[in-house]
Amino acid sequence: MSGTTVATAPVQRASTVTRLRGWLANPWGRPRFLVLITWSYMVWSIVPVLIAIQFSFNASRSRTIWSGFSLRWFTWDTDSVMNDPDLRHALGQSMKLAAADVLIAVPIGVLLALGLARWRGRGAGTSNFIMLFPLVTPEIVMGVSLLLVFTHIFTVVHTGTLAQVLGHITFSISYVVVIVRGRLFSIGRQYEEAAADLGASPAVALFRVLLPLLTPAIVAGAAITFAISIDDFVISQWLSSGGGTVTVPMLIYDATRAAPLPSINAIASIMAFVTLLSVLAGFLVYRAFTRGERGAGGGMVGDMAAFDI
Amino acid sequence: MAGEVTLVELVKRFGDVTAVDGINLEMPSGEFFSMLGPSGCGKTTTLRMIAGFEQPTEGRILLDGNDMAYTPPHKRNVNTVFQSYALFPHLNVADNVAFGLRRQKVGKHETRERVAETLELVQLTGFEKRKPAQMSGGQQQRVALARALVLKPAVLLLDEPLGALDAKLRKALQLELKALQQQVGITFIYVTHDQEEALTMSDRIAVMADGRVEQVAPPREVYEEPSTVFVADFLGVSNLMDAEAVGGANICRLQVGDFELDATQGKTDARGSVRVTIRPERVQLEAQDATGQNRVPGMVERLVYLGNSVQVIVHLAVGTTIQALVQNVGTEIPWKQGTPVQAHLPADALRVLDDTGAALAPLDEGAVPA
Amino acid sequence: MYPRWLWPSFALPGVLWLIVLFVIPFYAVIGVAFGTVDPILLSAVPIWNPLEWNVGWMNEVLTRLQPGGDFWVVFVRTCEYVFVSLGLSLAIGYPVAYYIARHASRTKSLLLILLILPFWISYLMRMFAWVNLLAPDGYVNRFLQYMHIIDQPYGFLDGKSSTVIFALAYGYIPYFILPLYASLDRIDKSQIEAARDLGASPFRAFLHVTLPLSKTGILGGAVLIALPMFGDYYTPNLVSGAPTTSMLGNQIDLYFHSTSQPTIGAALTILMSVFLLVLMGYYLITVARATKDLESV
Repeated sequence: MSGTTVATAPVQRASTVTRLRGWLANPWGRPRFLVLITWSYMVWSIVPVLIAIQFSFNASRSRTIWSGFSLRWFTWDTDSVMNDPDLRHALGQSMKLAAADVLIAVPIGVLLALGLARWRGRGAGTSNFIMLFPLVTPEIVMGVSLLLVFTHIFTVVHTGTLAQVLGHITFSISYVVVIVRGRLFSIGRQYEEAAADLGASPAVALFRVLLPLLTPAIVAGAAITFAISIDDFVISQWLSSGGGTVTVPMLIYDATRAAPLPSINAIASIMAFVTLLSVLAGFLVYRAFTRGERGAGGGMVGDMAAFDI
Repeated sequence: MAGEVTLVELVKRFGDVTAVDGINLEMPSGEFFSMLGPSGCGKTTTLRMIAGFEQPTEGRILLDGNDMAYTPPHKRNVNTVFQSYALFPHLNVADNVAFGLRRQKVGKHETRERVAETLELVQLTGFEKRKPAQMSGGQQQRVALARALVLKPAVLLLDEPLGALDAKLRKALQLELKALQQQVGITFIYVTHDQEEALTMSDRIAVMADGRVEQVAPPREVYEEPSTVFVADFLGVSNLMDAEAVGGANICRLQVGDFELDATQGKTDARGSVRVTIRPERVQLEAQDATGQNRVPGMVERLVYLGNSVQVIVHLAVGTTIQALVQNVGTEIPWKQGTPVQAHLPADALRVLDDTGAALAPLDEGAVPA
Repeated sequence: MYPRWLWPSFALPGVLWLIVLFVIPFYAVIGVAFGTVDPILLSAVPIWNPLEWNVGWMNEVLTRLQPGGDFWVVFVRTCEYVFVSLGLSLAIGYPVAYYIARHASRTKSLLLILLILPFWISYLMRMFAWVNLLAPDGYVNRFLQYMHIIDQPYGFLDGKSSTVIFALAYGYIPYFILPLYASLDRIDKSQIEAARDLGASPFRAFLHVTLPLSKTGILGGAVLIALPMFGDYYTPNLVSGAPTTSMLGNQIDLYFHSTSQPTIGAALTILMSVFLLVLMGYYLITVARATKDLESV
């Protein structure tokens, strides 16, 4: 049985067509067709914005024809972000609304998340349903309803900054809940039970054990609330009373339909920068806090992508 | 002595489901007491009620005579080692272990001393600054132990603490835990579904099924003198057979198929339909022409080589299949697959059980005993 | 371990807030829609008592919503836009989500970041970017002229349906891809490997395993963007000024802001909400059925 050599037939080269097909549809390699589509999408998605940002540094007054690099629209031009009072006010108003939104919506949202996650009893289901609804309601419906409620029922508010703040908070709460709840489910009850087992009163278990573990999600919720508020257009517009209640997105909207200067690009770029900064800060804080834990499911990205609805 | 736990008529219902259906248990001080059973038998629920995370629907939980069923968990002098360890991820080992001491407002100096002492006890000296995520499963388990033991509780509750570890580590830790319990001297209440684990470590075992206690006894008794079909089958191979008991006082005459067997163990005064059990290591295999009382002919179906022993699966003439365990003493086993053999079932190894084993999963006809 | 009143009381502030500022406002819309208009001030006078409701305005809107009416035209157009944009989003978004979820290993983190990036850039800025690009002297027109595809600048922004559809797709795709990615990512690799092992080609494995398993993700993503798209009014306004591309949202916006007929606006809002609720209901039932199927596996 042993000792014989097996004669092998000469290996033939596969035809060109077969090899091309193999290259395209290589089951072990990355499908090149999909790679192409994906990166094309990324370019299509992001490059227009980059161009718009680029034009905020345009030396001329055009938003479409590039004439060189300049900071005029940020600083020294009379219509620049720094000098034009409308632009400055819009920037300020956007920041004010976002700050107020975060300061109020996040605590309410965290409490609501905790309450909904652990509440077993009558009313829990209905409350959960009420919490989910803003997430699927079209913004215009919310805008209309809030406008009408502030002008016909809670008329003490009517339109203006207060109305805008209240509106922002109303849609932000649900986002905070969904984000915090996801983290709550992955934490589970075990740590609080362990704490109680070791002698911690319910208050200590809540504040010294659960809350620190929840912090990354709270931070993420705050960052997202801030970003959403800054970029909000519909609610801000419907509840505005003109003038000082104009936010940056409203400015961009009105300007786009007119004949805007690159100063609009500039203010939009500033907002994009601020938003990205806040998200980055939130992400970094999240990472710092969860450094001691196993990185499950892509961390913050995973938490955000897996909206627990 | 402190650390005696008594459960009186304990019941726990979750809506329509009765998880614990009237349990009475006495766990004396200083004992290594295990609750053993399949998942869903109510052992974990019982443990959680002792710890205080669930409130009983009915019944009492006495610690040294005081009913603590309605005391919140943070006020009970019992501590738990959780199945998932539940080490606080944001604290290092020292802070984890010191957590309970800080709740008790123990001074800094004493805290440090006791933490060091307990870490030495679980052989984790030097790990103080580590975070749980930086440690192996076995190490985390020991931190969880230390965290509970440092508080010198009257009773330590352990909820399947070795479940997440690999087999070899599990075996090593079983011995360590047992030694630890004897060294520290407090009551350990241990929950597991692994019968080998329970047999290895316990002073006494409560075998549970469907929210009830089937038998409470030391390991030897639970294994060799099971009082119900469920216990017989859960604690190892049971070789259960159906039989008709036709009378006797200390000896039970049984009709198994066409054969008559005598049994001296179990419910010897039973009448009518019963089940008979014999442990595989008590079955003696003899040459097919052997004669005598309590012998049933059969055919060797197959052999399973286990290293230190050989399982011989024999299909008996009465229609059932049993398993015999033959120790490996270095000589070759005379029975090959497909050869006839005589199975001697000694009367003092046959045990009569008169319950139906309702808690048992239905026996598969023709299935080879595992 | 915790007192039973603790969790409901935590939930109370949030629930109260939402009831006061989310649920009650809906009744304000109803009150206005079934109310009257002050002839002098031209402002709405809501009627709160259902027994006294004035159905005149609602009837008018319903009449105009019937085939042949002007609202019907807008409604059909809106459905068209949403449907085509959805199709575009699916065609572009699915391969991207699929690639990132199942194939990209080294570049996965980078791609995920790029995927999430548009979330943090104001929707308006992204539209504004395209308005600049599609302007008569914008890069797109200049490129097309340079390539001699056209001679004169094309009026992309002059009330073209295709531009609106394109803009809607561009705007909403990120919100579609992310849940789709999440659902594709969750598919167990071993199921696909099992299909391959049993003789399925890569394409068939995709068709018979991956695609069905991602159905809930597709549906979820579609609903997630379809609902807001129905109420979109700013996108048509930004990339097309014309009434010929007016969507339902534009009408509502019109009747509140341009011509002051809040009762019509309110009635339209209610009808649109009902329509979307029905869609939502259909989605929820489908999901419930789908999850039941998965659970029986």
